[in-house]
Amino acid sequence: MSGDKLLRGVRINAQPMTRPVRIDGHTTVPRLLRARAQENGDHPAHREKDLGIWQAYSWTDYLHHVRLIGMGLRALGLKRGDVISILSEDNKEWMYCDMAAQCMGAVSSGVYTTDSASQLAYLVNDSGSKFLFVENEEQLDKFLEVADQMPGLQRVIIFDPEGLHAFAHDKCMLLSDLYEMGRQTDDEALFNAEIDAVQPGDVGVLIYTSGTTGQPKGVQITQENILAGMETSLYGLPFQKHAEQLCFLPLCHILERIVSLYTPLVVSSTVNFAESPETVFDNLREISPHGFVAVPRVWEKIYSRVLVMAQEATPLGRWAFARALKAGQARAAYTMEGRPVPGGTALRYRIWDFLVLANLRRMLGMDRIAQGLTGAAPISPELLKWYHAIGVPLYEGFGMSETTGVATINLPGHNKVGSVGRPNPGVEVRIADDGEIQVKGLNVFGGYLNKPEKSAEAFTPDGWLRTGDVGRIEDGYLTITGRIKDIIITAGGKNITPAEIESRLKFSHYISDAVVIGDRRKYLTCLIMIDQENVEKFAQDNKVPFSDFRSLCRAEPVLDLIRREVEDVNREFARVEQIKDFRLIDVLLTAEDEELTATMKLKRATVETRHKALIDAMY
Amino acid sequence: MTALLEVRNLETFYGPIMAIRGVSLEVHKGQVVTVLGANGAGKTTLLKTISGIMDPEKGQVLFEGREIQGREPHQIVRRGIVQVPEGREVFPLLTVEENLALGAYTRTDKAEIARDRDLVFSYFPILAERRLQEAGTLSGGQQQMLAIGRGLMLRPKIMLLDEPSLGLSPLLTQEIFTILKRLNTDEGVTMMLVEQNAAVALDLADQGYVMELGRIVMADSAEKLAASEDIQSFYLGHANEGARGERRWKKRKTWR
Repeated sequence: MSGDKLLRGVRINAQPMTRPVRIDGHTTVPRLLRARAQENGDHPAHREKDLGIWQAYSWTDYLHHVRLIGMGLRALGLKRGDVISILSEDNKEWMYCDMAAQCMGAVSSGVYTTDSASQLAYLVNDSGSKFLFVENEEQLDKFLEVADQMPGLQRVIIFDPEGLHAFAHDKCMLLSDLYEMGRQTDDEALFNAEIDAVQPGDVGVLIYTSGTTGQPKGVQITQENILAGMETSLYGLPFQKHAEQLCFLPLCHILERIVSLYTPLVVSSTVNFAESPETVFDNLREISPHGFVAVPRVWEKIYSRVLVMAQEATPLGRWAFARALKAGQARAAYTMEGRPVPGGTALRYRIWDFLVLANLRRMLGMDRIAQGLTGAAPISPELLKWYHAIGVPLYEGFGMSETTGVATINLPGHNKVGSVGRPNPGVEVRIADDGEIQVKGLNVFGGYLNKPEKSAEAFTPDGWLRTGDVGRIEDGYLTITGRIKDIIITAGGKNITPAEIESRLKFSHYISDAVVIGDRRKYLTCLIMIDQENVEKFAQDNKVPFSDFRSLCRAEPVLDLIRREVEDVNREFARVEQIKDFRLIDVLLTAEDEELTATMKLKRATVETRHKALIDAMY
Repeated sequence: MTALLEVRNLETFYGPIMAIRGVSLEVHKGQVVTVLGANGAGKTTLLKTISGIMDPEKGQVLFEGREIQGREPHQIVRRGIVQVPEGREVFPLLTVEENLALGAYTRTDKAEIARDRDLVFSYFPILAERRLQEAGTLSGGQQQMLAIGRGLMLRPKIMLLDEPSLGLSPLLTQEIFTILKRLNTDEGVTMMLVEQNAAVALDLADQGYVMELGRIVMADSAEKLAASEDIQSFYLGHANEGARGERRWKKRKTWR
């Protein structure tokens, strides 16, 4: 038995990824929650905006609500191992329900609010959910639309009663009624017994992977997986005790789930729920979190906003910003590689930081961020550098639902731009003969729900997880080049990894995503989704008339702009890997569209079928 | 064919507030083009920028191929652009006839003016009946007719109509739009029509644009716009009642 060690004030196994995985001596999420609620008592556990004012809810309050929901569900007939589904935007109730399910030995599964009614029916049926929590009448209507297709569903619980006073349905009830039920059957000893009965091997969470092909698969994550993921992340994630965090990506996604629901249990940080996806940037400014984890799209948006602000500033302001950025970039060249900064460069940065950059960070709500993290999609090295230059050290990591969050990460002093960093302590990563990245560790999941053959495919005979990504390891740093399934074999017989070309295209500010096509074709082409904001700005600045999005995509100067971007990328690739032609997707896609994953990435298969006409026109 | 009126990348501000954030559109001769949008979308600002009441920060307004942005309103009127303002702003203390005469103040050809006045009276017989009455004592619908008639008195190449249906009963709205239709088909008057009443506007127009927060989010033939799902649910009030039959929430707009 190895000893313990303290890391960021948390006691963990000295040897990472050894059984039993313990965080301050606790082996499951429910036990950890109970302990933290007792320790932190009246300190705010989370905040939510109510009528425009941030309201804090204490740790005691947190556990109390979890207990009421847990006991209420028990009274309704929830048994250990049952599944509940949650269909809601991020809010405290989401968190309570997730924890309540786990405390009662049940499994919690999230459904994206952008999913359609039929997708909801699939997820509820596949997971075998007995209970479904819905946020409001909008989400309730999805249930009602497919109510008869979900025979196993026993109850639907509605968070927000607004507009539903006259509504009655024999399967539906309000959350307030569930609380009341919990109050009537409340029994602390019984609740504690339920928590104690949860074993590290129990599945606690189901994460449905968006899956760029086929139906979503339910990734079964055990208590041990979560704790192992947390333990190893503790080495890298920047959160300190009582740090402030902002929760805004969908909680159904592994990234936000880990960062906003489970990390706070480890480091006792405070989670602030963004009001809505539209107000994230305002909320960011109000909260000024200590850590910020986001997908590249979000980082890109913030960058674009600053550029626009800078362009609209006074000449003096523009000049000062340009000088400050230059000083920042000079310093970033050293800090990003962990080299010591020469005195002159450091001094120049200090001055410009004081005059400009510190104010910029304050305006963005990034003045307290010691370390930013990006993941779930490739990010442009220029963007990383820009953030370092303005004093927000941003690092890239890699992880997936199957590895319960972050598996590899770049860290201050251990950073290689373009790579996704080194494996977290205790996580083993290897590259197979065909180039596939394979992962092993206690954070790796056991299998997909109801899909034994898919689960078998997910592992090598010696028990390593096949990530489906191809890449390489250099000096311990992992670089991802693409998806194995997406490898294109051209008519000429050449193997091409489209993701490599696609990420290069995406690094352009005018291209938000791209899909390279060319399997069994003579040459490569691609479909491009333009970045609406930046291209609109380009059109405005260059007097290119356009009315709606479609006409923007058809404007000749816009096509020329994208053509130049494509040509720039082409220059970096060998002849057979060059894009010969492209088309713009002239519909403004939203998260509701099937072409996009929850993290706003284009789904190759869907795009290829939906836009077949555009593709065929290029051959 | 070049457009009679062309707006390119227009940006107009109220102090620090950007009311029009890059609008481009075209009106061809003989067409009726409508711009739909909710309150505060920037529709009126757009008309005011075209007619010279406001100056754009960026962008061009081309009329018969020539740039006219930033010119004084009286110069623009002389080129043949007439704006019929929102809220039927007639001169209340002048008579109907005097109001009409003012509409023709840039013209000198007395005989032609008289003919045009008769034309207005033929389209709006009620105005003929009340020709000597003070405009302020007319009903709302009659004042709107007078405002349109006053605009016609200039023999404009294009009429910019700012919400002619505002504050009118459905019946009167119908009546005025029928007359507008006749003016377009019989007299060939080109019109740019800003409206909140999408049903009547799309019925009249050939081409339509939808504005939201100072931007154009949709552009198409009036027919296609009227068939679009978003226009139906957000502008034409066709509600999808949903499973409960009393849906309050609206789905997100996609504008396609």
